Amino acid sequence: MDKNQLQAESRAESLPADAERRENGTDMSHLLTDLEMVEFIVNGYHLLELDLPEGLNERMAGQLDGLDYNPGDAIAEVVPDLWQVIEHPAVKSALASLLGEDYEVMGHRHWHCKQPHTGHMSWHQDSTNSRDTRIDRLLGLFYPTDITPEMGPTIIVPGTQFRNAPTDRMATYTNIRGQVPMVLKAGTFALTHYDLWHGTAANRTPVKRHMIKFLFRRVRDNKAPTWNHDPDVMNVPTAWGGKREDPKNVLSFGNPIGVGQSDHYKERQIRWKCWNNLLGVADAADA
Amino acid sequence: MSSSSSNPGVRQRLLYLHARTPSVFSDILGYTPVEPVRDYRAEITADVSDWPYNTVHDALVDGWQIVQFPHLQAPIDDRDLDVVGYEFILQKLEEVRDG
Repeated sequence: MDKNQLQAESRAESLPADAERRENGTDMSHLLTDLEMVEFIVNGYHLLELDLPEGLNERMAGQLDGLDYNPGDAIAEVVPDLWQVIEHPAVKSALASLLGEDYEVMGHRHWHCKQPHTGHMSWHQDSTNSRDTRIDRLLGLFYPTDITPEMGPTIIVPGTQFRNAPTDRMATYTNIRGQVPMVLKAGTFALTHYDLWHGTAANRTPVKRHMIKFLFRRVRDNKAPTWNHDPDVMNVPTAWGGKREDPKNVLSFGNPIGVGQSDHYKERQIRWKCWNNLLGVADAADA
Repeated sequence: MSSSSSNPGVRQRLLYLHARTPSVFSDILGYTPVEPVRDYRAEITADVSDWPYNTVHDALVDGWQIVQFPHLQAPIDDRDLDVVGYEFILQKLEEVRDG
């Protein structure tokens, strides 16, 4: 499904209740920090361990275990507790930080049930690669149970979200240095850039591995930062060759999988352009 | 193609190595072995054990031969990013049995 299809689908199928739910009781106290924002720009993902009500994860997992068909986009109607996930203040605040305060919860969502004793899934992107320098679309991956390495976790490759690499070009890769398995606690919500390379390991256990995927998109460009931003955050000396873990240096020097110098220089330009775009700097230029 | 373990013979083992640069001395970022045995599948794993080689050169020392060198990336546009690393394809011709 391409971007236009997704947008058309969103217009057609987003539930009016989405907006109402988001506006009621909004708590933006969990906005991301500058460091969390640049880490997302560099790595392409952000993890949230949600403090959901006691027993909620188990209830959702039990309902999913009992499903004998895949309801597709209607999964949140079949398992309505999922609304408590995407309405959690930490999720809403992270989405507002990355996509703007009026982000859209799109109509598409999907229950990914990794059946017992099934093989791996190759690296892929879910659509064509938008190949831009922006953060406009995010996947939200929710896991209602603990995920072990043997259960077929989602695996991502940090920093690959800005690459013009159609899925077919990834076919000769398996393990990549720096890849990150989503080995997580029950109740974790992973936000990933839409274009981040991802796949799954094989499920070598007798249990089903559940993940529910949501899709979110930006509806307008930022005119100002929408996260917990310090206007002076970048007014520090660049630590050339240093390892200082402040936002400016993470943005400039982060290299999560150890790519070569040329790629790293290009990544740096894209990241600064992305950062400036998020700041609301009109006609964001390369840094 | 041989059809059973009773017909072993020499087969082509393959190794896809994605190196940090086009140099055989640069670090490997991706490692995919392909064994010529029935039902073999190279796969992504959650637990990545240490790879036997850190560089393409390490594999050459171990007897692998390069059958395809990487195509250079971004020959004109030096702004766009594409795939991870530079792909070397290596082979070893060895007697291999199924199972």
